[in-house]
Order: sequence, then structure tokens, then C-alpha cells
Amino acid sequence: MQAPQGGARSEVAGVRLPARERLGLRVQLALSRLLSPLWIPLTSVIMRYGFGWRVDPAECAAARGEYRRIRRESRAPLLICANHLTMFDSFVIGWAIGSTGVFLRDFGALPWNTPETVHFASNWWKRALAYLYKCVPVQRGSDRTEVAKVLAKIRFLLSLGQTALIFPEGGRSRSGRVDVETAAYGVGRIVTALPGCRVLCVYLRGEGQETWSDLPRRGERFHVSVACIEPKSDQRGVRASLDVSRQITAQLADMEQRYFDGR
Amino acid sequence: MTAKEIQDRVVKILTPYVKDEKALANAGPATNILEDLKVNSARLVDVVLAFEDEFDIEIADEDVDSVNTIGDCVGLIHQKVA
Repeated sequence: MQAPQGGARSEVAGVRLPARERLGLRVQLALSRLLSPLWIPLTSVIMRYGFGWRVDPAECAAARGEYRRIRRESRAPLLICANHLTMFDSFVIGWAIGSTGVFLRDFGALPWNTPETVHFASNWWKRALAYLYKCVPVQRGSDRTEVAKVLAKIRFLLSLGQTALIFPEGGRSRSGRVDVETAAYGVGRIVTALPGCRVLCVYLRGEGQETWSDLPRRGERFHVSVACIEPKSDQRGVRASLDVSRQITAQLADMEQRYFDGR
Repeated sequence: MTAKEIQDRVVKILTPYVKDEKALANAGPATNILEDLKVNSARLVDVVLAFEDEFDIEIADEDVDSVNTIGDCVGLIHQKVA
């Protein structure tokens, strides 16, 4: 597993993660990894044969190749940011950028997720699955210190050479299109707190996805594209974080425009 | 600048973001911005930027974590302008 630049500081802009929380994440990582030979192939089978989902083969190969190259190229932290249309995007995105074999060999390449508590951690079996599936649930609109703690956890995981997937719009695109103005500043906060942090922007859309929904349709055929950027800002404090968040969503909006131009 | 003056300007800045205007009418230092005034958490950063412009101060990321109530805002701004 790669150890990124910047050492193993476990804080984001002043929020230090307690040792107990860091240990908890390490235990979760170990258990998830231990059981990964079961749940990673099973998830792929469910998506392919249960839901009949497919990712365009040429685009999938290109995205996987690019992701492997980026992971090999540098030890700097890598955050994955994507557009968001359904509650199952993170599963499909993982599938689109890496094969089962790759994730079993390089477990850090399989991104952590930050699902909303109300959807993915509302009862014991959902919590168990979320735990196994490398999730750090977040409660939207919760106390600011709780949100800061989640950001610190992501920062800590990135410092361990893990990757994390965050949706910079903060929720599913209500217009069905990437909205730069809704950029959640927490994404920028993670990036600005990590020197040299790269962002892999992933644009994923099914041919039948006109707008947001809970679940992609059965038999959906997805298109995917990726672009790696290293956003920087001349501004400071909250403005810098917001600026970085908007650069990321602007990149996703640009990828979306190219997707629709090419249809 | 007194705490009362800061609070009045804070409430004025918050007004366009507030969903519960009745709660705003009775707002005091203990009023929670997200829970009582029902300000969308995603818009909190816009509120913070408005504070920066209004009071000509710079607010760090970690400062945002301490902003839960109107009193927190007043305390933070008072500390920055002092």
C-alpha cells in the first residue's frame, strides 16, 4: 500500500482525530479487507447480473488504465470526486475505475465513501454493510464539529494511502446536471489541508439517466470519463476551500458538457 | 464595536438564509443557526463569507466548526475585530 506525501497527520484544519477514532478506522479497514474476497466479487456480480448494469467497455478500460497510472505515478494523496445522480453511484464508480482483481490486490484503491446516515446507517444491518463497504456515514446538517470530524477521518484515511470518494455537490443533482454553485466547501477543505492532494474527477452517467433518482434502471449502460487535477487557490481560509470546491465542480461540469456534446 | 451591534448585523446577514422567520424575530445568543433558524447547512459557508465582507475579517476553516449559535458568531467576530 502506498503511503502518501505529507506524513500521517490526522487533522484537517485544526481538527485532530482522537487516537480512539484512528484505531477504530484501522480496525474497520482491517475487517473490511479481510472480508473483501467475499464482498467485492459479490457486489460486482450483483451489479452485472442482478441489475444488468454495464459500463461502456472502451471507456471503462480507459478509466481503469488512467486510475492505475495515477495511483502508480505518485504517492501524493488522491481524492475522487464525482457527479451524483443515484444512491448507488459509489458502487458503479468503484466498478468503473477498478476491476475486482485490482481492488483485491490493492485494497487502498477501492475508495471510502461518506453516505448519508439516514440512507445507509439507519438500522443495524445497513450499519454493518456500511462498515464493511468502507463507509464513514455523515449526517447532513449536523453539528459542525461532527462534520469536521468526518472530514478529519477522510484526511486520516488518505494519509494511510487510501482513497475516498466524495460528491462535491453535497447531494444528488436535483437538476440532473452538475451545479457549480452548489459546491460543498468541505471537499475543498480536505484538499487544501493536504499538500499536493490530487483530485480524480469522475463523470458517470447512464444512457437512461435524465435526472436524479434512487436507483439506476435495470440494464442501464453507463458512460464514464476521468480527469486528474490538482486544484490550487490564491485565496485563504474559507474562501480558499470554496474556491477549490468550485474548481472541482467546474471540472465535472466541463466533463458533463463534453458528454452531452458527444451524444 | 459592542456585542449588541455585532449581533444586530449578524441577524441582518442571516435574514435571507433563514427558513423560520418567526424564530429569527425572537433570536438571541443561544439561537442555533441550523436547528432553530433552519438555515441550510450548505449555505452556512455563504453566511461566513458574508461575515468576512461585512466586518472585514478573515475566518479560518476551523473557526467555522465553532459556529453553531448566534452567540458563537458574535464571539468569533468580536474576537476577530478586536
